[in-house]
Amino acid sequence: MRQKHPNKLVAEYLNRLESAAAGLGRGRRTELVAEIREHVDDGLREAGAVDEVAVRNVLERLGPPEEIAAAAGPPPTRAGRLELAAMITLALPFVGWIIGVVLVAASRAWTGREKVVGIAIALLPAVILALSFVAVGPSSGADTPGGTAVATLPEEEVDGSSGGLGPIELVVVLGSFFAGPVAAVYLSSRLRRPPERTGLASA
Amino acid sequence: MEPGGARNSLSQLRRGAVEYCVLALLRDGERYGFELVRKLSEVDGLVTSEGTIYPLLTRLRRDRLVTTFWRESETGPPRRYYQLTDGGREALAGFTVEWARFRDGVDGLLKDEEEQ
Repeated sequence: MRQKHPNKLVAEYLNRLESAAAGLGRGRRTELVAEIREHVDDGLREAGAVDEVAVRNVLERLGPPEEIAAAAGPPPTRAGRLELAAMITLALPFVGWIIGVVLVAASRAWTGREKVVGIAIALLPAVILALSFVAVGPSSGADTPGGTAVATLPEEEVDGSSGGLGPIELVVVLGSFFAGPVAAVYLSSRLRRPPERTGLASA
Repeated sequence: MEPGGARNSLSQLRRGAVEYCVLALLRDGERYGFELVRKLSEVDGLVTSEGTIYPLLTRLRRDRLVTTFWRESETGPPRRYYQLTDGGREALAGFTVEWARFRDGVDGLLKDEEEQ
């Protein structure tokens, strides 16, 4: 993991570049970001200052990160069928989640961080639900005879008005159904438009 | 031709030519990235986004027209230097001849058009 640049503007710029270059191989992307970073540092040393004006001037001359990434290779972000399938399956519970996670992981349209965030959004409620079942035991619910469930669950559990689910569990269950679509929306928002293959100088 | 189309083909011309400008800048010795990029961007109308030179440098290296090496710097961390290979030198010599013919041909036509 590269070290974060101490200057906030530069760090933001490099992050944008990294996202835009998501379609390059990891080695090539890391190298590109390192080269641009060296360039910025050289430029700031030359300017003899690290104030905002100096930073903005160097970044302005470099041009938009998206343009640099576009010059480096095929646009990473053209959402192909793989990304579409990944987002649709991720929105479907259970089997869809598994397939969705595999497809998201296989895609080159997202950065590692975007993949982790997307997958985490999709699966977090389900994981919480699974953990709560493990903690409480699978036999919990209103139809459980005897007191084991009563001892471990909040009292709403036992009136059975919501089929054995308390409000918290209900939220988590509903959440796990909505999480997939939310993750799909997040991931689609991270897909960038295919950048124009503009030349070195766009007059 | 639409104006957009003309601009696009001009930028393609530039893209092709800039590669050889890089090679030309390295003819007399190695340079580091920042130096190279600044030299190029000082030429009017050649480059507007300095950052796009870096992917081009990578391409030149992949095509073995340049090689890179690291050298200590007096003012900061080590720098990556670019150097022409024999292949790069040959490519530059070839382009220099072709470019002169191309330029003269185009100039000739453009002038004729003006005079009419």
